[in-house]
Amino acid sequence: MGHQPLQKKTDLLPYALITPALAITVAIIFLPMFRTITYSFSRYILYKPQEKGLIGLDNYVTAFSDPLFWSSLSNTFVWIISIIVFQFLLGLVTALLLNRNFIGRGIARSLILIPWVTPSVITALMWRWMYDGNYGLINQILSKAGIIREFIPFLAQSSTAMGSIIVALIWQGFPFFAIMLLAGLQAIPEELYEAAEIDGATKGQCFFRITVPMLKPVILTTILLRTIWVANSLDVILIMTGGGPGYSTHTLPVYSYVKAYKGMDFGYSSTLAVLLTILLMIIVTGYVRSILKSQEA
Amino acid sequence: MRKVIAVTLILLTAGAFICAQGAQEKADETQVVKFWYHFDNPETALNPLIEKFEAENPGIEIEAERISWDSYNQKLLTAVAGGYPPDVAQVKLWWQPQLVEMGALLPLDDYIAEWDGKDDVYDKIWELTRHSDGRQYYMPLQMVILYLYYRADMFDELGLEVPETREEFLDVAKKLTRDTDGDGIIDVYGFGIRGARGGHDWWGTFVLSSGAQFFDENGNSGLTTPEAIAANQWFIDLYRKHKVSPPTTPSDGFQEIIANMKSGRTAMTIHHRGSAADIEAVLGDKLSAAPVPMGTMGSWTSFGDEENAVFAATKVPDAAFKWAAFLAEAENNALWQKSSGQVSINKSNASEDADRFLKATTDSAPFAGVLPAHPGVSEFVESLWPALMQQAFEGQITSREMMQAIEDHFTE
Repeated sequence: MGHQPLQKKTDLLPYALITPALAITVAIIFLPMFRTITYSFSRYILYKPQEKGLIGLDNYVTAFSDPLFWSSLSNTFVWIISIIVFQFLLGLVTALLLNRNFIGRGIARSLILIPWVTPSVITALMWRWMYDGNYGLINQILSKAGIIREFIPFLAQSSTAMGSIIVALIWQGFPFFAIMLLAGLQAIPEELYEAAEIDGATKGQCFFRITVPMLKPVILTTILLRTIWVANSLDVILIMTGGGPGYSTHTLPVYSYVKAYKGMDFGYSSTLAVLLTILLMIIVTGYVRSILKSQEA
Repeated sequence: MRKVIAVTLILLTAGAFICAQGAQEKADETQVVKFWYHFDNPETALNPLIEKFEAENPGIEIEAERISWDSYNQKLLTAVAGGYPPDVAQVKLWWQPQLVEMGALLPLDDYIAEWDGKDDVYDKIWELTRHSDGRQYYMPLQMVILYLYYRADMFDELGLEVPETREEFLDVAKKLTRDTDGDGIIDVYGFGIRGARGGHDWWGTFVLSSGAQFFDENGNSGLTTPEAIAANQWFIDLYRKHKVSPPTTPSDGFQEIIANMKSGRTAMTIHHRGSAADIEAVLGDKLSAAPVPMGTMGSWTSFGDEENAVFAATKVPDAAFKWAAFLAEAENNALWQKSSGQVSINKSNASEDADRFLKATTDSAPFAGVLPAHPGVSEFVESLWPALMQQAFEGQITSREMMQAIEDHFTE
């Protein structure tokens, strides 16, 4: 009986301790999120304050019959999949190379981080000038090497604009994969490889039977993180093409941004943002579930 | 750890804020006027004007903030919607319908009635800047009219005359588009079209002068008439069919068209006096200017304006108007134009010894026009026109589809 008050105290203490953090999270994450959701059911055009008000599902109905929503959605898929696949492959090769012993390995490991630590704005401006159709470095090189005769306006035609930006983003993000995978590689005990070698395993067998399974947790988490980040990123697109030419580089975040800050239509823009969130949540939960399943199996 | 840092930061900021509030209350005699502005040229400064004003008006302090042009309109509208606009800001005519509809602006009629400088501002400017409700919200600041830049040396070399009609223009542009070093690749393009955001002025020069109009005299759309669609097609053909503009046209913005002019990649383009000093520094006498060519139904060029507006939310309206009026007085306005490279709105600043760029500007005055006073203009300029034009340049949509989409935007 005498220990009961003590029990109560310890029950409250954890809540008291997490309250400040929780309050901040609510204030800076949940409130804006809630507002976005409310806006998505409202007509809210910044310069028409008189018309502001709830309109139910109208914005969602508009979105589903909006061809631009569907083309932005498919661009978003192309964007996510191509970037993640190539960043992962490039990152894996880099990690395997950096895991070997060679002179200058320390320097190489730091240098590889440069694209990742360069601010997006600088990355975007740099690539924009390299792609430039009149004076750009890439055109100069291709033309000097005799591969092209006339300069290619990479960012001015919709057939090449998206691909060009994707290449820039792959360059920017692959070091993250490289460094995370390298950390994973170094955690694999050397003994496993030694034992396998004694058993007569080939290099390929070592890679697929030891390296890949041991790296799996790292691979799965990094891919998950990158998918979310890449899906949301729009700074590089905005600076390199602003979503153009035409609507060819409009992904959902870009479309949502353009609607909000160029069209001042915060209602419809919020709807697009909510739809992207739902989509990401479906992908992420599906992904996590399949991971859990495969681990059970 | 991160959260601890975050909390500390928040507390510190809050603390600083409270301290700042306290300081402000103490010095309650000083009125602070928050002013937003933008200049194309990053090297220009406002300090001499601010110092002069503060010396002449003790007790008023100008807190000037320079906002990048790319995000200016967006920042201003969000600041207004958020309830914390600046006291005075540099504004454009085509934002006026939105700002008035938001109730953001302070009508200045009473102030202007008592202001000595009002008669020194051109009557035409008062007329253009008055809102459709009959009130004057804008204080004139500068004006600029778009004209045609051309390479006088290339014209001489090929024996060409400055084009006065659009047919002459096309002919000249074709002749100027050429391979200068004999490798079979075009080195110089006749005309630099701005295909990215801001290029609607290039489009307007040829399309609004040849039968297209946003609204006719009855207020109906005049964008999808056969003449309007043909005029738009003619403009699209400059790039698609005649190829007198560089292949990069759909993505070329202000930086690119100026760089192409400077490097000799293009032989003509359209812009205003604001860029003259910059291009002239590279090209010298090789650069000249003339009014834009005439369309099939007359001439149209863009009247580029800048005004100052006082915001309704201001707590210091008298001081705010003083600053806006100060900048519109002849002596100070001349100083401002030195930084902006544009044209003064004061009659007494009209100079006799006009250079060729100023001459091209004033020669264009009779037919300079503005976009309609419609809240949809802003989105048209910022995102709709560039997207449609780029699609049309690529052949993804027809001239009719483009004009129809613009009409839909303005009539919905």
